[in-house]
Amino acid sequence: MAVEIRTGRGLYRITSAAAAQVDTNGIVVTLGLERADGIERVVFRCRVSRALLDTPNPAPDAIILRISPWLEREFEVTREAAIKSIRTDRKLLEVVFDRAHPGPF
Amino acid sequence: MSLQLIKPDINIDFVGKRFFFVTLSTAINLASILLLIFVGLNYGVDFVGGSVVQLKFDRPTSGERIRQALGSLDLGEITVQDFGAAGQNQFLARFETVKNIGSLGRRIESALNQSYGDSNKVQVLRVETVGAKVGRDLRRDGFLAVAVATIFMGIYIALQFRGVSWSFGAGAVIALIHDVLVVTGALVLSRLIDPPGLNFDLTTLAALLTVIGYSVHDTIIVSDRIREDAAKRRREPLDSIMNRAINETLSRTILTSGTALTVLLSLLLLGGPILRPAAFTLFIGIITGTYSSIYIAGPVVLFWEGGKRPRSTAARAA
Repeated sequence: MAVEIRTGRGLYRITSAAAAQVDTNGIVVTLGLERADGIERVVFRCRVSRALLDTPNPAPDAIILRISPWLEREFEVTREAAIKSIRTDRKLLEVVFDRAHPGPF
Repeated sequence: MSLQLIKPDINIDFVGKRFFFVTLSTAINLASILLLIFVGLNYGVDFVGGSVVQLKFDRPTSGERIRQALGSLDLGEITVQDFGAAGQNQFLARFETVKNIGSLGRRIESALNQSYGDSNKVQVLRVETVGAKVGRDLRRDGFLAVAVATIFMGIYIALQFRGVSWSFGAGAVIALIHDVLVVTGALVLSRLIDPPGLNFDLTTLAALLTVIGYSVHDTIIVSDRIREDAAKRRREPLDSIMNRAINETLSRTILTSGTALTVLLSLLLLGGPILRPAAFTLFIGIITGTYSSIYIAGPVVLFWEGGKRPRSTAARAA
């Protein structure tokens, strides 16, 4: 499943880049943010706290649908942070949604 | 009790050894020019265009194996570089002229997963692309920035020290050209020693401009002391005044350069592969900038004035 978002940098697609990981604390989805023409792609993780989930085992596609409007708004900051994390720290950025920072949930 | 690295009455004959060091610098500069012409810098994607793809594998693999796996995609020339710490299994693949850019990340991921199978899963973490024209424009603008910075610094110093001699401007410009050539030569040398060498990208260019700023700052300190001493010691020959000024500012020169180099050394060793080209540029640049303030900028003024006092100070002395 790919969800398209419109950004100041053009049309981007959000896809699931790896299998979701479910644990007692919540779910971690790995998302690929790719420009529609394929010239740019960056991968990052989203950790959603169990307290914010409607169901114990949500489908990753449902999470992507929920996150996409938020990502459209927070696109620049998230993209920049994700690229910086991979380039300099050589690890994936992890965006955490919990009670303190529920984001789109 | 204060820490004293350099004795206040130190008197090293820097100016007396100028012929040796000018000859040495000329030889290094000529070697740098030859390296730049015949080998060239390892331009990053910013300057030549193309794509950079950062890959992460589950298990260890090699650059050659990745190149083989991507060969079927017909993406033009591919450079694969091991990236990151041991055990991270991360690689940077560079495509200088991507023939078919669309969906690059997905095509690469699929080709690699097909080639490696389930034994070693791969993830495309990042794809960045710069068009060939944008790359050319950035390269032209980058060199223009270095040239304009050098010329304007020279004009500024010439105006500031016009009371002593206009040749201070020429000395500063020649010292700056020397620094830029030594640093770019060292970057090319890294390409010969450890291919594909250090990347010359926008960050490295920013570091090069910083080197120009640092070097001119160091030259101003020495030139300013020469101006002060020339006014105080009106009957002393210029080479003696110059040597005295260099010795008087030596403690400050060593302390400022030394502390900057300490920071840069840790950045060079611990900053990781992305920061390494910029840290290397700054490290070599600060060493050569300090050296050129002593052995290049001053001797140019001496050659220009023929070893005599500049006319303006000589007139005041009379």
